[in-house]
Amino acid sequence: MVNFLIRRFVAMIVMFLVITFVAYNVLSLAPGGPLQELMQQQQNSANRLDPFALERVMQRYEFDIDLIPRYTRWLVGQPDGPLNLFGQEMFGATQVGCLRKGETIFKYPDGRVVVSDCEVPVYLNDLKGRAVSKGILALDFGTSQGVLRGRPVSEVLNSRIGLTLLLQGISSLLALAIAVPLGIYTAVKQYSKLDYATTTVAFLGSSLPSLFWGLMGLLVFAVLFKQWGLPYFPAGTFVSNTPQTVPLIGVIEPESFADRAWHLILPILILTFVSLSGWIRYIRASVLEVLKQDYVRTARAKGLTERAVILKHAVRNALIPFITLVVTILPGLVAGAIITETIFSLPGVGNLLVAAIYGSDYNVAMAVLLLSVVLTLIAYVLADILYTVADPRIRLR
Amino acid sequence: MAITAIKPQKENEQARKPLARADTQFNIVARRFRRHRLAMVSLLVLGVILVASILAKQISPFERDYLNVESAAKFLPPLSRSPETGAMHWLGTNQIGQDLFTRLVYAARISLTTAMLATTLSTLVGTILGTLAGYFRGILDSVIQRVIDFFSNLPQLPILLILTAVLVTDPRLIPIPTFVIKFLQAIMLFDQEREARVVAALILILTLLGWTGVARLMRGQVLQVRERDFVEGARALGANSLAIITRHIVPNAFPPVIVAFTLGLAASLTAETGLSFLGVGIQNPVPTWGICWPLPRAICSSGRICH
Repeated sequence: MVNFLIRRFVAMIVMFLVITFVAYNVLSLAPGGPLQELMQQQQNSANRLDPFALERVMQRYEFDIDLIPRYTRWLVGQPDGPLNLFGQEMFGATQVGCLRKGETIFKYPDGRVVVSDCEVPVYLNDLKGRAVSKGILALDFGTSQGVLRGRPVSEVLNSRIGLTLLLQGISSLLALAIAVPLGIYTAVKQYSKLDYATTTVAFLGSSLPSLFWGLMGLLVFAVLFKQWGLPYFPAGTFVSNTPQTVPLIGVIEPESFADRAWHLILPILILTFVSLSGWIRYIRASVLEVLKQDYVRTARAKGLTERAVILKHAVRNALIPFITLVVTILPGLVAGAIITETIFSLPGVGNLLVAAIYGSDYNVAMAVLLLSVVLTLIAYVLADILYTVADPRIRLR
Repeated sequence: MAITAIKPQKENEQARKPLARADTQFNIVARRFRRHRLAMVSLLVLGVILVASILAKQISPFERDYLNVESAAKFLPPLSRSPETGAMHWLGTNQIGQDLFTRLVYAARISLTTAMLATTLSTLVGTILGTLAGYFRGILDSVIQRVIDFFSNLPQLPILLILTAVLVTDPRLIPIPTFVIKFLQAIMLFDQEREARVVAALILILTLLGWTGVARLMRGQVLQVRERDFVEGARALGANSLAIITRHIVPNAFPPVIVAFTLGLAASLTAETGLSFLGVGIQNPVPTWGICWPLPRAICSSGRICH
């Protein structure tokens, strides 16, 4: 077990490094970037930007540094100057980037000719005294470059994560609370009327994406209900600006608790419905599988009550697929509702990720990605540990 | 004597009768399928969608990107006539006066082709790598296994979102051969090469993240099949690895992959529509099932993504 955990931990670190490095590089391949706006201003003669100002901005966003040092600076805040060994500064003249591109030809006295495509190179010495984040490992995600330019990413994340946690937390708990009993019940009472009804609804819910249900929910409960004079839900956003009069419910004051709840009910219901539908089918199938086993028949033959047979013998053995399912809630807590948040224009993390991608805010996008990668990795280890709890025959080595 | 002589003959004939109808595999499958009511209804619906998307150019009353300035922002209701040409808007118009029916039909063609190509490619890659890993085992297997682990431990949607946002917008980042572009342009009825390039990039990204499930499935299947007697027999008869894999292992390991293919089709379709809806996949004005949503005025006006 300890061996297993250590090995998994090492594998997790390797995966984490590979994913973040690839993602960091991919993002810096993106056209545009935070500088795009400035570049466009450059072309406009009335609003000409001083080239040195542009270079200062490049330095500010570290676009003058090569990818690998930029990545390590993002990751651990190093290198932040020449290497300091025993009080001696070393490798200060190593080139780590390029501020201004352009061809320069060096002709050395000994006859060598070196062509460099960099006019103003950046050396390790130049990094001394530059502002640098403390690195991801110290939970410093750097500075936002687009969504809230100049503010720390952690601040941006903090302002968004609460809503997503609330949405995903409530909807996952609700879905679990409904799906588990209903899944078990429909498996035990197979071919009953409730089973048929549940299976049909679950089939619809799981075969159409959340995109469909979100838009249909908006159309029916926000638009049509309002037209018909029924109690309706707002068509998105998080708070209302003015008191809203809803038929049969009354006046909802802006920014009150009722207002928040009124705005969140519809997205929560839709998230719940979509995950619920998948889970019911899953749980029903795994319990059905177990109910056919010989040991369930044996348990019945021993004269155990039906309750004991189902709860102690059947459900216990159907736990393994169920665990796989429950741990997927964890990574979903950060970026699991991207589409729903976008449909309802809720200021959550998913919406933030989309905004960061549109606005070329790589630090924010990387932070969101990082959180969901870490949570995914943790979720899988957690699942492996829970398997041993549910089934003592499984040994982790 | 005479009676006993005839009787068994009659019995034989009766017993032979059902055999005489010569049930082929196809007949058996078709009969079982026809009895399944839900399957028949689904087949009908799929058939209608498929025919409509194949005949997109013929049945749509407008050009794909045609928009009427007069009917823009009017959200013409279904079954109204175009103020300009008098042609019927079967499903009405969207916020910039485009015909929804036309867009829907073209979107079906584009979305279905994208999903089909992405799933086919990822099934192909998954089958090949899974078979190699399962058959040869050893170092190759552990390398492929690590890669599968790596991809399946990724948070799918965020990664997909970032990859697509970066790689699709700049076509130079993924070099795609011209004949592929021409092929996509022909089957999706694109006027511009750029549109086909975006779709090709999206298909490649969906493949990159989609092959692992099939590979894992195929590997498990191959591990089982390779221990069976007929494989040993083939080897004893002197068949080489290529013959064993293509003749004996893949056909016997393939059935679960067919099921995975159908499920993967749905997953690709969902991923494509989701990405296109978020605005990073296939871009407006190319219609897909993620873009051509007929959003009503009340939703469109509140300042959200509205295609």
